[in-house]
Amino acid sequence: MKRLFALLLAALALGSCAKGGGETRIYLQRFFGECGAEYGGSTDIAHAEGECGIITTMVNAFNASDGKAAVDTNVIAWPGYPQLTAQMAARDPPDIVSMHENVISDYASKGLLEPVEPYLRAGGLTAASFTRASREGVTIGGRMYGLPWDTHGGLWHINTGLFAKAGLMRGGKPVLPNSPEELLAQARQFRQRTGKPYLLQSLVGDPAGATRNLYTYVLAQGQPVFPDARHLRVNTPEGRRVGELFRQLTAEGLGTSNMDTPAAIAAFMNGEGGIFATGTWMIGQFQQESVTARRPLFGKYAVMNYPRLWGEHRIYVGGHAWVVPARERTPEQKAAIGRFFRFMAAHNYDWARTGHLPAFTAVLDSPQFRALPHRADIAALADIGRPMPGYVRRQSAVEGIVGEEMSSAVTGQKSVPDALAAAERRVDEFLAELD
Amino acid sequence: MRADRLSPIASLLVLLGAAMMLAPLVWTVLLSLKANGELVGNSGAALHGPYTLQNYQAIFGTSQTMRWLLNSAVVSLGTTTGVLMLCSLAGYGFARLEFPFRRTLFVLVLLGLAIPSQAVILPQHQLFATLHLHNSYPGLILPGLTTSFGVFFMTQYMKAIPAELDEAALLDGASRLRVFWKVILPLTVPAQSALAVFTFLGSWNDYWWPLISATHSNMYTLTVGLAAAQMNYAQTSGLGFLMAQAVFASVPIFIVYLIFQRQIIQAMAGAALK
Repeated sequence: MKRLFALLLAALALGSCAKGGGETRIYLQRFFGECGAEYGGSTDIAHAEGECGIITTMVNAFNASDGKAAVDTNVIAWPGYPQLTAQMAARDPPDIVSMHENVISDYASKGLLEPVEPYLRAGGLTAASFTRASREGVTIGGRMYGLPWDTHGGLWHINTGLFAKAGLMRGGKPVLPNSPEELLAQARQFRQRTGKPYLLQSLVGDPAGATRNLYTYVLAQGQPVFPDARHLRVNTPEGRRVGELFRQLTAEGLGTSNMDTPAAIAAFMNGEGGIFATGTWMIGQFQQESVTARRPLFGKYAVMNYPRLWGEHRIYVGGHAWVVPARERTPEQKAAIGRFFRFMAAHNYDWARTGHLPAFTAVLDSPQFRALPHRADIAALADIGRPMPGYVRRQSAVEGIVGEEMSSAVTGQKSVPDALAAAERRVDEFLAELD
Repeated sequence: MRADRLSPIASLLVLLGAAMMLAPLVWTVLLSLKANGELVGNSGAALHGPYTLQNYQAIFGTSQTMRWLLNSAVVSLGTTTGVLMLCSLAGYGFARLEFPFRRTLFVLVLLGLAIPSQAVILPQHQLFATLHLHNSYPGLILPGLTTSFGVFFMTQYMKAIPAELDEAALLDGASRLRVFWKVILPLTVPAQSALAVFTFLGSWNDYWWPLISATHSNMYTLTVGLAAAQMNYAQTSGLGFLMAQAVFASVPIFIVYLIFQRQIIQAMAGAALK
């Protein structure tokens, strides 16, 4: 027993040992999972796959090539904000943190993040390096609070086999609607010819999808969703038009109403519906299915941006960024962060292989990126994509409220005006309570 | 004593109930033995082969899994040991000793039962930050030692033990501490066992406090570490891995239950009879 205890103590002591060497260390904290088993020792970025594999090999490659600094990675449970907040409260935040762009305002408004322009300059990057959607996603009050890393947003993932059966393919491309009336007509035609729903919707336990639809098509009609930092405005003629359209789709059985995200994904992969509206992050999975023989999606997959149904072509988007929490740092550490940003920027193409759109204009326009499956069809998202304004705080929580109410409207549990009015009231009350 | 035989209908109902309880567990294990890719399109694929151990290999391949397992063991055992010591002593004090404000203090302890831990999480976090105890074993163990339920439970149990036992020992010249240690404590083993089980399970499964106190991955407990290891959208594209994590995290508890099965059942029965 004593020997076992001694062994335990020895293991603890060994595990606690800091890595040796006098080099500068910076601490990076991220989500995207842990895959040390497969990629722990790899620096081969080009052959890494998936978010976790690619980011793990990128950090490994930086450590192997920089020579002056080392990055220690702390992997946190998604999305990691309770931990980050706790670290900030304890005045022990990491040096670089992965963050969703719609969360940045929560921390930046309290002075907990550093503006990153000095690091960008040190890394040879300027604001002009980034796509419009990426730049806007990290900019608050004219300052950039993160290195934009990608743009992600809603897309229409399409079963081209069912679309062909429905007579909705032209020149090898899916025919998408250009107005609400066309959408309903095509959805009815699809239903009639295939017997399956046109739109697979994950309305159960997934408020984000319904929110994306509402935000996207309200923005497209030229109406701001948040006229100021304290008020949501969706119970308007523009908002009600969007709500009524999706309500009608669902009421006629043209869109599903009883699926959560895993069910909707499974239904799409099994050819149970024409379109699944979800994000850039599913491209890799669906593409893999489409090139695997004997799978229902084999050779039948396309992905397009949300169609323009009203006014201008606008799509609500978000993105990932690397932010720098405010704390004391040595000049060497600051220089290391700048070099790390430069390294990350140089490998943004590899990250774009995950399905997310690149944050850098040069990568977006490169033949290498356009040659990736489906990317040429969705690249416009980086230009037409619009994040919520940086002055809106707690965007993630607000999305949850809006999505709940929009889902209630779409499934008919509430009338559209009632649901949108409830969304406004709940969000306005919530925002009013923020200091 | 001959056990009463159950009627066929009662047996059937018991079997049905057992099957209902077992079904989700069996489902979890089956899912954990399937490749993630197979489950994305159809989770029903878990009902037939081929099965694989690749999800378990991925868990063990994660660089720090064994460290997290060790952390969980240290924290759970430390918390359980501390709770048993403190609650037994406090229970004896409240049950047997007369001291100023005893009733008031006991009421305060009872009030603690009504306060959810989330309500005090902010000042608790600030306190531990001030004391530089985050990312340490004391930081993970100490909050678990303050259990109102444990004090209440041990107090009630000790109150039910005849006071004549104490008096006899005191008459024989034993000190209070000796009475507690040699006479009363051995009689509370069933209650100690029950409290140990509750405390160990609670500590092993705790997620919230380790999540915000252990922010460096080498101090994660198993629950936090396994959550961190998940990819985004694990419930769709990593279902097999997710279920393997659930099985892996529950295996130590299952082993503890297998080893101490008799004591645990006796403890439950004893606690109920008291």
